[in-house]
Amino acid sequence: MRVLVLARHSFRRSAPIVIGTAIVLAGFQFMLTQVAVFLMRNQAFGLLASLIPPYVRAMAGPAMVAFMSFGGVVSLGYFHPIVLASLVGLAIAAGTEPAAEVETRFADLTLARPMARHEVITRSVIVLVVTIAALLAVMAAATWVGLACCTPATAQRPRFALIESLAVSLGAIVFCWGGIALAVAAGARRRATASGLTAVATLTAYLVDYLGRIWDPARLASRLSPFHYFEPMTIISGGAINIANLAVLGGIAVAGITVAYVRFSRRDL
Amino acid sequence: MPAPAIQLEHLSKRYGRVTALRDLSLEIAPGEVFGFLGLNGAGKTTTIRILLDLVRPTTGRAAVFGMDCQARGREVRSTLGYLPGEPGFYGDTTGEATLDLLGALSGDTINRRWRTTLLDRLELGAADLRRPLREYSTGMKRKLGIVQAFQADPALLVLDEPTEGLDPLMQEVFYGLVAEVRARGRTVFMSSHVLPEVERVCDRIGLVRGGELVLVSTVRDIRRLAGRRVRVSFADAVTPPARWPDGWEVIQVNPRDWDLNVHGALGDLAAMLAALPIVDLEVQIPHLEEILKTHYVDKAPA
Repeated sequence: MRVLVLARHSFRRSAPIVIGTAIVLAGFQFMLTQVAVFLMRNQAFGLLASLIPPYVRAMAGPAMVAFMSFGGVVSLGYFHPIVLASLVGLAIAAGTEPAAEVETRFADLTLARPMARHEVITRSVIVLVVTIAALLAVMAAATWVGLACCTPATAQRPRFALIESLAVSLGAIVFCWGGIALAVAAGARRRATASGLTAVATLTAYLVDYLGRIWDPARLASRLSPFHYFEPMTIISGGAINIANLAVLGGIAVAGITVAYVRFSRRDL
Repeated sequence: MPAPAIQLEHLSKRYGRVTALRDLSLEIAPGEVFGFLGLNGAGKTTTIRILLDLVRPTTGRAAVFGMDCQARGREVRSTLGYLPGEPGFYGDTTGEATLDLLGALSGDTINRRWRTTLLDRLELGAADLRRPLREYSTGMKRKLGIVQAFQADPALLVLDEPTEGLDPLMQEVFYGLVAEVRARGRTVFMSSHVLPEVERVCDRIGLVRGGELVLVSTVRDIRRLAGRRVRVSFADAVTPPARWPDGWEVIQVNPRDWDLNVHGALGDLAAMLAALPIVDLEVQIPHLEEILKTHYVDKAPA
């Protein structure tokens, strides 16, 4: 299968950055379990909650109580902005590979062979899905190791299902941006243009969602942002993962991928 | 009758307001080595990219061995090897990994023995192949490009400026390879602006200017078209004829030296000179370069 040959090549080239990110994220997840242990031993969860301004507590609602707990601190790594930025950044890098191949003229060499153009996009989808899944699995494994080996028995450890739901929710928002990046890259001649445009769109969407959460008049507009459908705090407060939110994020990703297939198959390279 | 190796029918390509190709029609027979000539930006690479379905024509049609390049692109590309003008190799990949990857994408049709022969002839050793491509010189990258294009021993080779960056010794090796694949019945379509190279290896040439095909001819015919430069020196002063035969062009005539450009057969000249006291006779076959330069300058739009 030529798609798999091309995917293997992409994995080989991206391995250093993906492995590096995986190590950093795994370390971060492990560290959070130990921060939670430290706070628990010093009975500091209450103190931490009292340091948060009342209006922030009011805005966050009951989720804040859940967050200021052992399980809440352990879960922080699944929605922390830096983690989110790292994973979305990697997804954009994976999604913009077709533009990079057009820019470097590597596509001339691969597509001069009996390959269909859609195979290039399929390869990117495979790379995107496998990379995201692998990173989330590494993060979950690091959380589990931290909880299993270095946590007192008295700690109220989060259930595996909670970590799993958070990981799925995080994976959905990252996959969504990967699909958008792929749609942009399929029509671009330069990777920097495609990744820059997607990064600006990501940041704008993040800010729109943030604004909608803190300012009522912007609430409606925030529905346009994919981040509106990423609600880890609801999961931490005990709510089930919202299937409708997952469907929206998955739908955006699928739409992006579909656009990528169409644009890449029609364009001049 | 076998389908033409390449058939272009009224091809046009526009990029916005810029017209890269204008109504270009051409047929190349299987087993032919065809030189596609033109200055930079004339439309050579656009034509090649249409053959590979990397670029879609605005109007017209391109076919390889009877298969439409767009509708049956995969089948078309399974019959050809392509050397781009600027191969997009990744600098962090080794030469060997690059050849293996591109070989696998060709569908594992690589004959290892043939590949080894190519590598030996082009003097790319095992140590070179283990190095990342960022350490390769321009010439080495070009040699690797030639190997990846030839390694599947395809029925059609599409080569964009194949000797760019090669030293004279390697150019000789390349010409040898072209001669060898032609002897095996392969078709070669190569773009170039190195005229001596085209003159040496090609059966026919096509000249493209401003996106239009302005000349298609065998190298032999094109030379005939240009005539031959004839210089005659006489022992004594001779009287030139009052009227020169048709097709003869007088460049300079002195009592003891004639300098002529003769189109067509030289029989009349021999008959005329037979009675004259000749000291020296020089017949010069013009180089393609001179002919085409004239063609380009004379027929360029004002």
